[in-house]
Amino acid sequence: MFERILQDAPQFFAGSNLLFIAQAMGRTLAMTLIGCGVGMVFGLLIAVVRISTTPLLLPLRALLVLYVETFRRIPFLVILFIVMFVIEPLIPGASLLSIATVSVCLLSTAFLSEVIRSGLESVPPQQIEGARSLNFTFMQSLFMVILPQSWKVILPPAAAFIVMFIKDTSLASQLGVVELTFAGKMLVNRGFSPVLGFGAILVAYFILSYPLSRFAAYLEKRLASS
Amino acid sequence: MDYTFQFGDVFAQLPYLLGGALVSLQIAFVSFWAGTVIGIAGAIARVYGNPLARRVTGGYVTFFTNTPALVQVFLLYYALPDAGVLLQPMTAVLIGLTLNAGAYLTEILRAGVISVRRSEMEAAITLGMSRLQILRFVMLPHIAKTIYAPLSNFFVWLVLGSSLAALFGVEELTGRAINISTANLRTIETFAVVAVIYVVLTLLASTSLALVGRWAFRVKAKVI
Repeated sequence: MFERILQDAPQFFAGSNLLFIAQAMGRTLAMTLIGCGVGMVFGLLIAVVRISTTPLLLPLRALLVLYVETFRRIPFLVILFIVMFVIEPLIPGASLLSIATVSVCLLSTAFLSEVIRSGLESVPPQQIEGARSLNFTFMQSLFMVILPQSWKVILPPAAAFIVMFIKDTSLASQLGVVELTFAGKMLVNRGFSPVLGFGAILVAYFILSYPLSRFAAYLEKRLASS
Repeated sequence: MDYTFQFGDVFAQLPYLLGGALVSLQIAFVSFWAGTVIGIAGAIARVYGNPLARRVTGGYVTFFTNTPALVQVFLLYYALPDAGVLLQPMTAVLIGLTLNAGAYLTEILRAGVISVRRSEMEAAITLGMSRLQILRFVMLPHIAKTIYAPLSNFFVWLVLGSSLAALFGVEELTGRAINISTANLRTIETFAVVAVIYVVLTLLASTSLALVGRWAFRVKAKVI
């Protein structure tokens, strides 16, 4: 095993392979960032609808509960397959990367909406009643009273979930998206030692998620004490 | 779009799929308990160990929680044959998921161990409680309250995570879904049914875990 690693190493660490891994890293990062951006926006929308109490929105709330609870209880691999086989006939030319990104969006929206909802619910109801008695509109009390206080509760778990999504995107390799895991498989298929190929991929994932999980831990410590 | 859904082919295979769900549960169960053994050792090492033990377990946790379980299993499955160890797909998945679960469980259990306040331990010693009594009446109630909810969430997460075994040809729920859909070409229907099975399975798991928690540890756990 070790002779093979030593033998492959000079060729493996040639510029072209590293560039290939870096490009794959970019795709992994792009999927995660787009997914989390969309997840944050829609998650906030879902959370706001779910904490609202108007009877008018009751059917919508029921639907949203159904969506969130379903997507949190299906493996990402199954989500990927379903999204692929739904999108492919509807939009024939859709790229695999976009299909995988849509799947990450669906997953992250479900998880982040729960994180955001628990953040919004952490604001004491007296604050909202106070805002209402000051004649704040719903939007005003959301943006001026609730959100400024709830981001402390939202951010640490949200960062931890983003780390989870980075790791979940590795399953997109199964569709054939050339992200980090698929890049590792290709390198191994080209004949490099699996220890080098997958080891480099593990290091690349670590480089992506370690700073974020440190940031999550820092936020948790810092925001908890204040 | 004219596509008629035909669930008949899938429903005919329902017993086969449910058998796969059982395999998924088994994978989750084995890696959960094996991971718990690692987790207990790791948590004790992280809290009470010497600096070296703390460093080593810290590194283990950081590495395994920051890299995807899929690539860890890939490494086990494809790299070990180079060293002369040939693993069955199921064994590779179980070892990979166990190591991965051990890292997460170390963190969860550590939070439980440090939830016991020093003053309470001192009070227990002052009252003349024996070590076993302290463990049973002072430490365990605290630990159980802190870790029960994260532990049951983690078990559900493992049930979902066990689906990666399908990529190595293990015939658990997702693997069997792939088998069926390549045979009957009713892919959307098959995966929709499988999704429903996963939802029911995890709902059953979290409901029963919440009930056990309420009965045994007086933990109020939310199902939804």
